[in-house]
Amino acid sequence: MTAKRIGIALAIATTVLVLVNQRDVGIARDETVYFTAGDHYADWWVKTLTFRSHASITQTFGGAMGGEANPEHPPLVKLASGLSHRWLPFAGELTAYRFPSAVLHGVCAWLVFAMTCELWGLAEAVLAVLCLVLLPRALFHAGLDCFDAPTMTLWFGTVYAYWRCLDGRKFPWLVGVAWGLALATKHTALLLPFALGAHYAIVAIRAKRLEHWRVVVSLAVLGPLVLFVLWPWLWLAPIGHVRDWLAFHLHHVHYNYEYLGHNWNAPPFPWHVALVTTLFTVPTATLVAAVIGTIVLVRTRAERDARSPALLLLLSAVASIGPFFLGTTPIFGAEKHWMPILPSLCIAAGVGAAWAARRAATVIKREKLALAIVGGALALAGATETITAEPYALTWYSALAGGGPGGADLGMNRQFWGVAARGVLPIVAAQPPGPVYTHDASPAWSWYERFGLLPKGHPDAGHETAGIAVSKLALVIHEKHFNRHDYLIWKSYGTVQPFYVLRADGVPIVSLYKRP
Amino acid sequence: MSRKPLAVAPAVLLVVVALWEVVATRRAASAVPDDAAWDAASQLVRASYQPGDLVVFAPDWIDPVGRLHLGDLISIDAAARMDAARYARIWELSIRGAHAPDVAGLAPASEQTIEGVTVRRFERTPAIVVTDFLAQTPQSDGARPALELAEVGFAPHRCVQVTPVPGKPTRVTFHGVQLGTTLVGYAGLADVFTRRDIRAPGRLAVELAGRTIASAELGVDDGWVRFEAPTTPGTSDVTFVASADAPQRQICFAAEARK
Repeated sequence: MTAKRIGIALAIATTVLVLVNQRDVGIARDETVYFTAGDHYADWWVKTLTFRSHASITQTFGGAMGGEANPEHPPLVKLASGLSHRWLPFAGELTAYRFPSAVLHGVCAWLVFAMTCELWGLAEAVLAVLCLVLLPRALFHAGLDCFDAPTMTLWFGTVYAYWRCLDGRKFPWLVGVAWGLALATKHTALLLPFALGAHYAIVAIRAKRLEHWRVVVSLAVLGPLVLFVLWPWLWLAPIGHVRDWLAFHLHHVHYNYEYLGHNWNAPPFPWHVALVTTLFTVPTATLVAAVIGTIVLVRTRAERDARSPALLLLLSAVASIGPFFLGTTPIFGAEKHWMPILPSLCIAAGVGAAWAARRAATVIKREKLALAIVGGALALAGATETITAEPYALTWYSALAGGGPGGADLGMNRQFWGVAARGVLPIVAAQPPGPVYTHDASPAWSWYERFGLLPKGHPDAGHETAGIAVSKLALVIHEKHFNRHDYLIWKSYGTVQPFYVLRADGVPIVSLYKRP
Repeated sequence: MSRKPLAVAPAVLLVVVALWEVVATRRAASAVPDDAAWDAASQLVRASYQPGDLVVFAPDWIDPVGRLHLGDLISIDAAARMDAARYARIWELSIRGAHAPDVAGLAPASEQTIEGVTVRRFERTPAIVVTDFLAQTPQSDGARPALELAEVGFAPHRCVQVTPVPGKPTRVTFHGVQLGTTLVGYAGLADVFTRRDIRAPGRLAVELAGRTIASAELGVDDGWVRFEAPTTPGTSDVTFVASADAPQRQICFAAEARK
């Protein structure tokens, strides 16, 4: 099998793995907004391109920040999920919405494979992809109709395209288009020029002249142009709506986030949140391999290649995670906000593991065996962590933290988005019909019914005290700042005793109460 | 030492770390006692439980599982207690070597571990409560005080809650209160969202016969803050003065006059 075929096979396997895994993952509250917006976006584009009447741009893409049209996020993934939902009915509605993200994760695997294979070799590439695919949190995020995993793909796609375009080609359009797609996915792509700009400057200084100026032009022209073309909301008032978009994120509310036993919801945040969270959410063996790989890359100066690929990967990671060391950047999404570091980390791990195996082969004289043993061990560790983590990967922490229970002992964030409610649906379904106080799963509740995951007869009872008052069942999704919902239920139900507690590796994630 | 054997060191390191991770991950995933263990531990408690006993769990993240198995023995008032001083017997069910803060400094009268759940019984001379202020009806010169079950410091507390107007202290007075030798209380800011959105502290002072005998500064991250003052046994008016410079400071307090 050629390297290219191996890469394609790994990419397809990655997509399939994501699609299989997401079947048990609950609906994140943000997804419900994107489902609706994506359907509207898809409808608008299809009707526009077929010259049929349709809703206005403002109705479809605009409105207030935080509203149903979701103008605070660019449209690409929402549009893709809407089209997928429209055109892939055989997949099941929920899977159809999530399909584009799963495909993009496969694309990310392909990109990691392609760059690593080209620069360091086939074994390194396969190991890098295995490390990427067997990241429990990344696998989880890739199975959601959200932007975090797609952003990782398009960020890294831009990095790879930029590196490819430094080969002196006359029309380096690819990098500009890739960055435009990244911008059309999530605002964090605005950090990419810091990495690419620093790399470009360093390469220019080393070469003692400015080269590849067309790459800069491509980024500067095609990037914003692609964003503009894909986002009709910008057509009406490009500057004003870009300003609103960025202002929303620059002044984003700080959601509650538990870290090392403290509930953080206002800056300054500890400088080490990103560091510790990454240490605890990447399999330990992958981390060790990445450390070895980084040392190898520094010592062997892979950047004898004038395009300095290792430096580029490092700068990409720094640009992605760097803002979270400032103490003021919102931390509530944890590792999902700096996911673009993961391709760099996994490539380093692939290089490190292959180097370690090859060094060992100088003693045991069998390189393939050495690669199989080291790579197999690395994959086994990642697979064990992944199997353990799913489907409640937000509650999972690596062996370094002591697993999910160790994470709870350390006071690490339990979960967010209300995803775990999926696990109590069979328990709710087995109860007599009646209103349910659905807590953080409220936005997802009607979707669970629509997708056939919850029978009719258990409607959402409503918001907080009023909802609890009319409910027959009540659930609490456990996060530190959600404790107050337990107390509201105690007051109404007259008991502190839940009748069911859903756990992930023994760690409580949802309590279910029944009105006596 | 020759160079060759050292060449395998990075590979060996990686393989060892990976194998450790496999074992450690699976061990961690099954390290928390299951429902059968909690059932067995619960039976032990039920066999010797007496009305008025306090049941607590440690670490705090296992509390929902503890209440699942023994919640019928825990009243809302006990779960939302001011502190544990009035309880003569405390049952602590703990896992993973944790201890509840309610039993800090106490020696267990009995201890038994069942399938990972450690059941300890603590006995001590309880504080004798002469007056529980939560059971009294106060008068206020400003914002109306309410008896609440509130979240303070991410824990439940029964308390008198008052939200003073900024710059205008609210005086909550309990008339003709029977006092003992000490007055012990706790206070804090309720509601995580107003604590997030408004970072200014609140204050609570306790006045006895026009004299401040205790006070507490209540910051957004301070939780349930203890205060204590010696008192002379007898009857007196006690005033709690809640104040803040910012709006929406939901000052929540509880207090006991103890013998």
